[in-house]
Amino acid sequence: AALLSRPAVALALPRVQCPNHPDALLVEDYRAGDMICPECGLVVGDRVIDVGSEWRTFTNEKAVKDPSRVGDAQNPLLNGGDLTTMISKGTGAASFDEFGNSKYQNRRTMSSSDRAMLNAFKEITTMADRINLPRNIIDRTNNLFKQVYEQKSLKGRANDAIASACLYIACRQEGVPRTFKEICAVSRISKKEIGRCFKLILKALETSVDLITTGDFMSRFCSNLGLPKQVQMAATFIARKAVELDLVPGRSPISVAAAAIYMASQASAEKKTQKEIGDIAGVADVTIRQSYRLIYPRAADLFPPDFKFDTPVDKLPQL
Amino acid sequence: MDSSNDEALDIIVTNVVATFRTRCHLNLRTIALEGTNVIYKPEVGKVLMKLRKPMITASIWSSGKIICTGATSEDESKLGARRLARSLQKLGFKVRFSDYKVVNVLAVCSMPFAVHLIDFTKNNRPIASYEPELHPAATYRIKNLKATVQVFSTGSLTVTGPNVQNVATAVEQVYPLLFECQKPLCN
Repeated sequence: AALLSRPAVALALPRVQCPNHPDALLVEDYRAGDMICPECGLVVGDRVIDVGSEWRTFTNEKAVKDPSRVGDAQNPLLNGGDLTTMISKGTGAASFDEFGNSKYQNRRTMSSSDRAMLNAFKEITTMADRINLPRNIIDRTNNLFKQVYEQKSLKGRANDAIASACLYIACRQEGVPRTFKEICAVSRISKKEIGRCFKLILKALETSVDLITTGDFMSRFCSNLGLPKQVQMAATFIARKAVELDLVPGRSPISVAAAAIYMASQASAEKKTQKEIGDIAGVADVTIRQSYRLIYPRAADLFPPDFKFDTPVDKLPQL
Repeated sequence: MDSSNDEALDIIVTNVVATFRTRCHLNLRTIALEGTNVIYKPEVGKVLMKLRKPMITASIWSSGKIICTGATSEDESKLGARRLARSLQKLGFKVRFSDYKVVNVLAVCSMPFAVHLIDFTKNNRPIASYEPELHPAATYRIKNLKATVQVFSTGSLTVTGPNVQNVATAVEQVYPLLFECQKPLCN
């Protein structure tokens, strides 16, 4: 924490007071180290310790290390206020024992009650890093995990499972949902377990999430496949129209999105196979085939009006 | 208006789960060796006995607790449970039929219309939940009846509850909500 350089308030005990004016608030003169009564000017306390910074710092362009700040940046939202002191591994020859072991080898476990939570935060950051999630989602995930952890209603579950489910919920809440399979890919926990934890967390925190729509995944899937913007827009339009016209009742939005991408890409110059799309979306290619069969009959209505067809609608593959 | 819909909808009870006690320790090996139509599962510690007449499967534990599943009505379940206790008695155990309790009833029902699950979930936010990635049905949990209704987009429902009465009430409760979110027939 940064050292403060404003006049310190006197502690409750021992309390110094001016003998003539007990009600007067004493003024601290930090240069001389005195506490002076403002009414009569009597110096009441002396040799007061100066809490200003130890050396002067000039503004430096680099300013990587500010010598008047010590310790890591505080994480007040997530920890219990980390004010403990740790003994780091020594440098130099004097820190080693006779046998070559380092003295003070045990870096005292700080806040052992939150050790599991810190571990989980690390795991969350690792998972999020694998799919390049921004800082705001990671922060939201950490907050969710903290709430769940403090509630203790899911205590028996593996922390990794709860962390993965929190990550899933955070992505949903931020409006950029990730499929369960995508979260599975960066976590060691099975989809089933993540799904179970997801439902339990929603019940424990008494929140609910918005339903996923086909459009949420279009931009990600299309860019992963390398499809141009026109095709992506067409696929979004097709999927939305298909759901509006209710051509695909009971199908998961991911499958419908995958089928729409297939149709749009097959109608354009950039044709992708069902296998490639299934790989990116995490959908089996038979599933894409099934959903495609449902939207194929109305293909002409589903395309946006200003779409440039490389392959006309009647020449679209029929599976 | 609601009562006329009651008659039109037939709720078919497909499974009744009941538990009872025999009040005596049961030797599973004896049952496994001498009983008819039994499967012994030593790794779990139970014996499965299947009855033909009411089509019932029972898991028998050595403590004397028995879980009876597969019956199609509450009466059939009780009959099957008694028959089962009788067959155990014939094997030589001092069986006393006690603490019979129906634990779960599963019923299916079909609406005459298809349901728009997304609208249904949006209208009934915290009570209904729909996760298409996990399960194709929307689940609606009625807390005071302790019943769960799973609604599929075709309009079929599966209802689970502690007894048949609750199940019927659950269907009645959920019917108007589904009626609002039905899909128009022009498709």
